Amino acid sequence: MPIEIPLDKWPGSVREVKIGATAPEGGTRGRTVVVGGQKSMPFMHFEAPAPHRPVIAIEVKNRRPEDWSPLLANVWGDAMDDPGKWAKAAETVGADLIQITLSLGTKPDEAVQTVKAVLASTGLPLIVFGPGQAEADNELLVPVAEATKGERLLLGICEDKNYRTIVATAMANGHLVNARTPMDVNLAKQLNILISDMGLPLDRIVMDPSTGALGYGIEYGYSVMERLRMAALQGDSMTQLPMLVTPGFEAWKAKEAKVGSGVPASWGDWEQRAINWETLTAVALLESGADIIVLRHPESVKRVRSAIEELASEPVTA
Amino acid sequence: MYIIGENIHIISERVKIALKEKDAKYFQESAVKQVEAGARALDLNMGPRKADWQEIFPWMVQTVEAVVDVPLSFDSTNQLGIEAGLQKVTKAQPIINSTSAEPERLEKVPLLAKKYNAKLIALTMGSSGIPIAADERVNIAVETLIPRMLEIDFPISDLIIDPLVLTVSGCQQYCPHLIETVRTLQYSWDPPPAISVGLSNVSNAVPAQNRSLINRTYLAMLMGAGLQMMIANPLDEEQNEVIRVIETRDESSPVGRLYLKIADRIAAMEEPTIDDVEMNDPQQVAIWKTVQILLDKVIYADAYLGQEAFA
Repeated sequence: MPIEIPLDKWPGSVREVKIGATAPEGGTRGRTVVVGGQKSMPFMHFEAPAPHRPVIAIEVKNRRPEDWSPLLANVWGDAMDDPGKWAKAAETVGADLIQITLSLGTKPDEAVQTVKAVLASTGLPLIVFGPGQAEADNELLVPVAEATKGERLLLGICEDKNYRTIVATAMANGHLVNARTPMDVNLAKQLNILISDMGLPLDRIVMDPSTGALGYGIEYGYSVMERLRMAALQGDSMTQLPMLVTPGFEAWKAKEAKVGSGVPASWGDWEQRAINWETLTAVALLESGADIIVLRHPESVKRVRSAIEELASEPVTA
Repeated sequence: MYIIGENIHIISERVKIALKEKDAKYFQESAVKQVEAGARALDLNMGPRKADWQEIFPWMVQTVEAVVDVPLSFDSTNQLGIEAGLQKVTKAQPIINSTSAEPERLEKVPLLAKKYNAKLIALTMGSSGIPIAADERVNIAVETLIPRMLEIDFPISDLIIDPLVLTVSGCQQYCPHLIETVRTLQYSWDPPPAISVGLSNVSNAVPAQNRSLINRTYLAMLMGAGLQMMIANPLDEEQNEVIRVIETRDESSPVGRLYLKIADRIAAMEEPTIDDVEMNDPQQVAIWKTVQILLDKVIYADAYLGQEAFA
C-alpha cells in the first residue's frame, strides 16, 4: 500500500555562509567551504533539497595539549608538536576545514606565526579559536585577523563579553565570526542582533549555540538548535544562520571517553567507546541542524562522514 | 478588572528596608496609593520571616488596616505567619496566596483558609513542576485542586485559581498556553472559580524599559481570553489605560483600537494579524512585535524591538 509522506513547506531559509577565500577572492585557500542554504529541517531533502551538506572540521592546537586523551596522542603522534603538520594530517584524513585552537598562554606573535604556518601547510579554510577567555581571545585574535586580512577566517570565540572587539576586527579584515552563547535560544538570537547591529553582514556570522556530550546535556543543546532552526525556517532573520558545534571538545571531556581504567568491564574497549561517544554526540547534533561539526579523532571523522553521506543521499520514496 | 496590588513585596529593596525599620508610614502610604490607583485588594509579600513572623504579620495587618479597607492577601510560604496575620484581620475577607497541588501544601493551606473564612489562591503546579500545556494545567485544577476544596467543603466561590504566568524571556513556550488555560478554566467547574494571574511575571528578566509594554500587551490578550482578576502594579498608568480601553470599548485612539482588536481576536480564538496593525505607527509596530513574541511566533531576544517586523 503506498504511503504518502507529509511534506512541510517553510517560508524561510538558512543564510549561506562562505568560509575561506581563494586567491582570486583575496585569500590563499585552495578551496572554500559554503554552509547553510537549507529550506527544510535537517536531511528532509525530499521536502526541499539542501544545497550544502554539513561539513567536518578537525581541531588542532598550536601547542601539544597535555590535557587531551592519550588515545588522541597515539593517533596523531608527533604531528601534535607542529600545528602545520597536524593540520596537514587532518586534511589527509578527510577534514573539510581546520579549527586551530590557540592555547592559553600563547603570545600574540606566536599566534600569528602558528596561523600563518597552518595556512601555508593546508589549502583548507580555517576556523581560529582563542583559548576561550574573553580577554585572551581578544589579545590573540586581533593580531591574527590583521595578519591574515582577506582570508575569511571564522574567528571565535565571539561571545557577549567580547563580541565588539572580535566583530570589529572581523569587519576590518574580511573575516567571519563564530557567535557563541550558552545553550539558550533567546541569548543566541540576542547576540546575532547585537553583532548585526555593529554592521557585520549576516552572511559572515555562524552561530555556536554550545552543546553537551551524549549523557551530559546533549538533549538540551539539541532542543535549542532545533528551535533555532525552526525559527529560521519560519522566517526569523536573526536566527537564519548556520550553526557550528564542538562535539569533539564535549565528548572527550565525558568520563566514558576519558577514562580507560577503573570502569566496569561491560563498558567495553576504551578506544571504541571513546570514538562511539564522539561519533554519537556528533550525529545527534547533525540531526538537530548542525552545519559545522568540530571533531578530534580521525575514526570519528570517518564515521560521521559516512553518516552524513547516508542521511543526505538516501532517496526517500513513497 | 480586579487588581490585587503587588507593590508591598520583599523583592523591592525599599520594602526590605521599611520592614527592617518597621516603617509604618511607608506601608501606609503605599497601601493608600495603590488603593487610590484602583487596587481592590493588597498583596503582602514579606518573605517567610522565619525569625519574626509572630511580630511582623500582625503588625503589617494593623498598619495597613489603619488606612485602607480592602482585602489583604497573605503571600507567604510561612503558614504560621499567615495564621498570625489572619487572626488580626478586622476588615474585608482576606486572601491566602497560595496553595499548590503539591500534597503537603494542599493538605494544610485550604484548611487554614476555611478556618479563617479566607479566599484561597491555588496554583496549577504539582510536585513535578509547572506543565507547559494548557490542558495539563487545567487538569491540575479540575482533578486535584477543586476536589480537595470539595472534600473539605471549602466554597468554590472563594477559590481563585492562578494558572501561573512565566517569563517570555526563557519560558516563552508557556506564554500562549497560559492564555488558553485562562480561557478554559472559566468552563472548568460550575460555578467557576475565580482566575487570577501574576501579570508582571511575564516580563521577569526582561530589560526594564520593555517590561511595561510586554505586560500590557499580554494583559490585552488575557482580557480577550476572559481574565478579570490579577496581581499587578496598580500604579502602571499605561496598563490601566489598556484596561479602561478594553472594558469600555473605547475606539477613539489608534493604539487603543489595536489593543481592543488584539483582545477581540483572542476572544474569538483567532490570532492577531499584521493587517490589524497600522505599520506606519511605531507604537503599533512595537505592540505587534510584542504579540509575536508572546504567541511564541518569534524567538524572544532582549533586543526584539530592534528587529524588523514580519507577518
